[in-house]
Amino acid sequence: MRIAQVIGRVTLSVQDPSYKGGRWLMCNPLEAEHYNTACQTLPPLSAQSSLIAYDSLGAGDGDIVGIVEGAEATAPFDHDIPIDAITVAIFDSLKYEPPVSTSSKH
Amino acid sequence: MIPALVVGHAVSSHSHPSLKGFKMLLCQPLGFEGKPDGSPIVAIDLFGAGLHSKVFVSTDGVGARHLVHDQKSPIRNFIQGVID
Repeated sequence: MRIAQVIGRVTLSVQDPSYKGGRWLMCNPLEAEHYNTACQTLPPLSAQSSLIAYDSLGAGDGDIVGIVEGAEATAPFDHDIPIDAITVAIFDSLKYEPPVSTSSKH
Repeated sequence: MIPALVVGHAVSSHSHPSLKGFKMLLCQPLGFEGKPDGSPIVAIDLFGAGLHSKVFVSTDGVGARHLVHDQKSPIRNFIQGVID
């Protein structure tokens, strides 16, 4: 499950019939150094490419969500649906404490 | 299955029903020679892996769905074992 920030919504005009009633969010993956503050103050956009995820929780702009990608994203549905990213959690807080010796990148 | 280092935890009061009651840990995937590889991901935890402990994180949904006893759960990453 990747952590991302909801930065917008997507409305489809023409879509696969199985998408009926679907809600889509534009999400930008978070950089690790912003994990600790992301739920309080809006983190800056990261350089990682944003993705569109099917929203099953009603997340809105600025929410920090957990996104599952891959075939597991289709598990919650009763019918076949061609999606590969879905929101599974809206985070209230994140605590990121890398060990000092092998802290990544910075 | 990817080796990872537990580097924190996440709290979510609004998540998929199948995740209720599971602890969510932030895991930093470890690549070549144990160096951090990519951004930390969230995995659900059953064994109470402590902070900075090395763990194996599964990336397979089938196993995860058995674990949470919910065939409709979109969960994918869970901690399979703590490396001594």
